[in-house]
Amino acid sequence: MKKDKNKPAFITKIELIIIAVAIVLPFVFNFSPYFQGLLIFVLIWVILGTSWNLLAGYTGLVSFGHAAYFGIGAYAAALPYYHYHISPWWGLLTGGIAAVILGYLLGIVVFRLRGPYFALGTLATAEILRIIFGEEEWLTNGHSGILYMTTWVSKYPYYFTALILALGAVFSVKFVMRTKAGFYFLSIREDEDAAQALGINTKKYKNISTVISTFWAGMAGAFYMIYMGFIDPEVVFALHNISIITILVGIIGGVGTIWGPALGAVVMVLVQEFFRSSFFGLAPSWISGMHALVFGLLVIFTILYMAGGILGDWDLIRKKLSFLRKAEVSE
Amino acid sequence: MKIKKLLTILVVVLMMVGINSCGKKETGPIKIGVLLPLTGHMANFGTMEKNSYEMAKDKINANGGINGRKLEFVYEDDTGKPDVGRAGAEKLINVNKVPMIAGGYSSSVTFAAAAVAQQYRVPFLVNTGSVDKITQPEAFNLTTNDGAKFYIYRMNPPVSEYASGLEGLLSQIVKPKSVFIIHENTAFGTKGAKSFAKTAKKLGIEVKGNHQYSAGTVDFKPLLLNAKKANPDMVYMISYVMDAAMLMKQARQIEFTTPKLFVGAGAGFTMPAFKENAGKASEDVVSATLWHQSLPIKGAKEYFDKYVEKFGKDHTPDYHGAEAYSAAQVVADVLKRCNGKYTPETIKKALDATNMMTVFGPVKFTSYGKKIHQNKMNTYVVQWINGNLKLIWPEDLANAKFVYPIDWAANWK
Repeated sequence: MKKDKNKPAFITKIELIIIAVAIVLPFVFNFSPYFQGLLIFVLIWVILGTSWNLLAGYTGLVSFGHAAYFGIGAYAAALPYYHYHISPWWGLLTGGIAAVILGYLLGIVVFRLRGPYFALGTLATAEILRIIFGEEEWLTNGHSGILYMTTWVSKYPYYFTALILALGAVFSVKFVMRTKAGFYFLSIREDEDAAQALGINTKKYKNISTVISTFWAGMAGAFYMIYMGFIDPEVVFALHNISIITILVGIIGGVGTIWGPALGAVVMVLVQEFFRSSFFGLAPSWISGMHALVFGLLVIFTILYMAGGILGDWDLIRKKLSFLRKAEVSE
Repeated sequence: MKIKKLLTILVVVLMMVGINSCGKKETGPIKIGVLLPLTGHMANFGTMEKNSYEMAKDKINANGGINGRKLEFVYEDDTGKPDVGRAGAEKLINVNKVPMIAGGYSSSVTFAAAAVAQQYRVPFLVNTGSVDKITQPEAFNLTTNDGAKFYIYRMNPPVSEYASGLEGLLSQIVKPKSVFIIHENTAFGTKGAKSFAKTAKKLGIEVKGNHQYSAGTVDFKPLLLNAKKANPDMVYMISYVMDAAMLMKQARQIEFTTPKLFVGAGAGFTMPAFKENAGKASEDVVSATLWHQSLPIKGAKEYFDKYVEKFGKDHTPDYHGAEAYSAAQVVADVLKRCNGKYTPETIKKALDATNMMTVFGPVKFTSYGKKIHQNKMNTYVVQWINGNLKLIWPEDLANAKFVYPIDWAANWK
């Protein structure tokens, strides 16, 4: 590819700062593995949200069944361990690949569907997998799940593995969106028929988008198994706990923005943990059941007033919050 | 500018954390973690167990606490989900810094959380989670000789022994020729069904069907119609509470009157909420149980009466409550034997030496077969007679004569 002088640098200053902070953060929380654990959860959701965003936000293929790829990735790590005592760490190779294969096969069927039908097709897939993995006990140990004594108690190895995966996900999306393929994705999102009329092989580019997206979802699943050490079908193929939350992470952060899902992941984990722990025990305990409600309200607010999400509508937010403007100007 | 802002945020965060971690005194209460499902579809059980922990705690503290210091339980809600349970156990260990965890209701959650406790080397006293592998070190990459490295202890018998008390009733009185097994599909139900199928084989009972359903099912009619078609002498069900009630209610609706016995495998079938929700359909249903207030155990009746007095007539505790209460008794006894040093290691040593009487029966952690740190217990049979849970087997301990044969059609009119 020819060098284009007008093209902005691949990694901006802000991104370098984010990476630096991400590297330092676990050491700041050195005193508490619990906070480090929360950071790891944020990273898992960054991977999942980013993966979903490439497919839904950039290519217009709104998946309601990302748990399917997540779950397949998790089981790709878990099953060799369960049957042959092969370390789940190999899942970091097999998890992504298994998810890509599933995504490709699934694509043959669901790419014939569009809009809501595509969404329903993906949703059904995840549900079917959840039931199959629950029933086929000889293969998956059914609902009893698969337990693995995790390799380390320390959170650092997990944190940095997750960080590498998360950065890999974010920058692979950023990279592909700067190539020709990225523009084709956008054209498919805007009008698939027009894109086809212009000579774009829409099927091929939908597949490329799916391959990248499902790969990272599968990696997230494999990492989940390695880190948590326990999976069962209800956990990894969950409709509300995985598929839906993935979408919400994308929507709140900003659909079709590079860093949106990452921001969404931070917001989601913070809201969830603040409420689940009743603001670390400072609030009455009945509040702990309210995280789903608050998160739901947040999503409704986002959709009604800033459909682009926090990052997508950042300029709008800046204007609206005029009392903050002074601070922004002084910067 | 940005860096300044970041630093400000950092400082604020550090201050918040600082507030959290200060103020630990040697004279303050001794905090022990308790992991239970306080919300979600197992909340019925979790609430009864929490109430019992609190009752025991109040009594212990009223009697001088632990060598002068107060005992305090820190509860963590596992919501009945294994992944939340693991996070909860981690939080108890890392944030609340408890030297010991008690509780553990559902098998799946308990097993997943036990791995966390084992990894952090914090003793976990399980009071209900019953799947066999919880006290089998091989499930945690250890052997039965690794007692010194194994931090899981269990009060209640494993699920494979739940039906052992039932064997006498079946072989001497009912003599069924066939059984139809219905079970919920997590670890508790699956393993319980497997071991009951083995028991049936031993007793010469033909297993006509072994069907599972998943948590949250509300329509059991297709399943029950299949069972009705198989025409078994007995139906054996392993269920939590709402599903247990639903099963009996719908058996009544489809007039499934042919079996000699409907038998529950403990869990949901001994709970007051079962009777409340199943209504008439609960009458004469038999269940395995691990405890009954009329057993000749010191304190059992007092515990039962106190609980009813405190929480009302509709909230009679069953074996789950007794397990939790006695777990609290064990915790207190263990802590008292720690010589004032409350670390995971001293507590583990004290647990190993446990040999005491509780409202649940004698508690002592022994090894047998593939299990270590497992308390051995008898199991019993109860029956809902005129809306009350009565102990019917073994006969010499029973506080009521069993109702048999049963005319379901007349019961359900």
